[in-house]
Amino acid sequence: MTAQRPPVRPGPRVLVTGMGIVSAIGHTVDAFAASLEEGRSGIRRLEPDLGAMPAAAIGAAIAGFDFEGLLGRRADTPEPLVKAAQRVARRAPFTIQASVIAAIEAWHQAGLQPSGVAGERIGLVVAGHNTTRRYQYSLGRDFERQPQYLSPKYALHHLDSDQIGVLSQILGIKGEGMVAGGASASGNVGLIQGLRLVRLGLVDACLVAGVVADLSPMEWQAFHGIGALGGKAFADQPERACRPFDRRHEGFIPGQAAACLILESDESARRRGADGLAEILGGATALHATAFTDPDVDGEVRAMRGALRDAGLDAAAIAYVNTHGTSSPKGDQVEMEALRAVLGQRFPEVWVNATKGLTGHCLYSAGVVEAIATIVQFRRGFIHPNLNLEDPIEPAARFSGAAAIRAPVRTALSNSFGFGGINTSIVLRALA
Amino acid sequence: MEAWGMSVPKNSVFTVVKGNIVKVLDLNPDQISIDKSLSDLGANSVDRMEIVTCSMEDLGLDIPLMSFAKVSNIEGLVEVFASHLR
Repeated sequence: MTAQRPPVRPGPRVLVTGMGIVSAIGHTVDAFAASLEEGRSGIRRLEPDLGAMPAAAIGAAIAGFDFEGLLGRRADTPEPLVKAAQRVARRAPFTIQASVIAAIEAWHQAGLQPSGVAGERIGLVVAGHNTTRRYQYSLGRDFERQPQYLSPKYALHHLDSDQIGVLSQILGIKGEGMVAGGASASGNVGLIQGLRLVRLGLVDACLVAGVVADLSPMEWQAFHGIGALGGKAFADQPERACRPFDRRHEGFIPGQAAACLILESDESARRRGADGLAEILGGATALHATAFTDPDVDGEVRAMRGALRDAGLDAAAIAYVNTHGTSSPKGDQVEMEALRAVLGQRFPEVWVNATKGLTGHCLYSAGVVEAIATIVQFRRGFIHPNLNLEDPIEPAARFSGAAAIRAPVRTALSNSFGFGGINTSIVLRALA
Repeated sequence: MEAWGMSVPKNSVFTVVKGNIVKVLDLNPDQISIDKSLSDLGANSVDRMEIVTCSMEDLGLDIPLMSFAKVSNIEGLVEVFASHLR
């Protein structure tokens, strides 16, 4: 039993000092948290609007997104920041605008405005790749007819790194910046990169921005084609289609969220009197050397053990696991086996749930979404429901049920696994 | 060009260009006069190309970008478009 974190590595402790989200179940962290606690799902039938979609397309889309309205929602957002956001992002693609709104919420909460930390000491990690597919697809038909009228802004907007330019200009971020990708594990890959930048002292604070997965009909068709999507048996009851760890799970249900965290060294937070919301103790990525989609027990175990080692903890410290839990039969089964291996005898004592049951699978941003879900559960003292878990594939696991459970947990693993054998896990801890 | 003012095509071209300036730069139409340059109005190089491309599309024109090389203000831009409409 390791109660205190031993000094496994030099460098500061890394706190989360700000969070922001635009999701299918809330356009603020407070609204998102309330939906989690009440078990409100964002999953609906989707109407095709760009082109042919697989039959029975079901997902958790961000609905009613109004960039100008969301930008102006807080009277205390500094005018220059609002102006900069309007100037840079007013006509930008949806995925950029959603990141801007989530980033400003996180920035606000961290108190980084107007000048909490010098811009040169702030980093930016954009988590996600292929984030402009729907934007590109939407221009394709006109481009084939009249290529000369392609918007010159395409030269910028087709790049995932456009997110770096836009967010850094609006927020005045001038430290290190990058796009970090790892398919469905991109969010955690980004958080791990941000954690390292702060630990290494390269920056004092780092915005990690998980980007909305705005899929084009081609990605929908491809995921459908490989049999990865759920929703067949519950085509007429979309809210029942996403069922992580239930025997009638069929595949993942895509979701959308832009999700941002501000990571910051404890010294920097202390210096400017910022409140930490949680601590990110560690994280790890482990590949299992495959070009395909299959999950792997050993890869997942190595990611979780690596994250614990990085955190200086052993598995006995873990009270809660926010699973990758996508509602995919193979993926859910493999994750349960991996959790059994990592948690050992404590497997039946550790709370387990799957945020994707409510949010859908937010793909690139999922890791950041689920870090936020974990932190709001710490802070509000509940474990959110496992929606549609009627007949668990693993009866010994300590799943929450159809309603939230009051349970003060303080230390958690949050898993994200991606196609191409990318396994990641991070360790989060409540403060005070 | 008529000596006493803008020809009708030039005037309507200016209306199209002005509409795209308003859209791309988020300006009030009163801020835009034909003697100003796009840079004066705060446009960067990509904004300028966006305004030119959108205006070409609205006017149904396909003009080589080299034709705009000597343009120094909105009026010059309008004149290039108008000359291709004749």
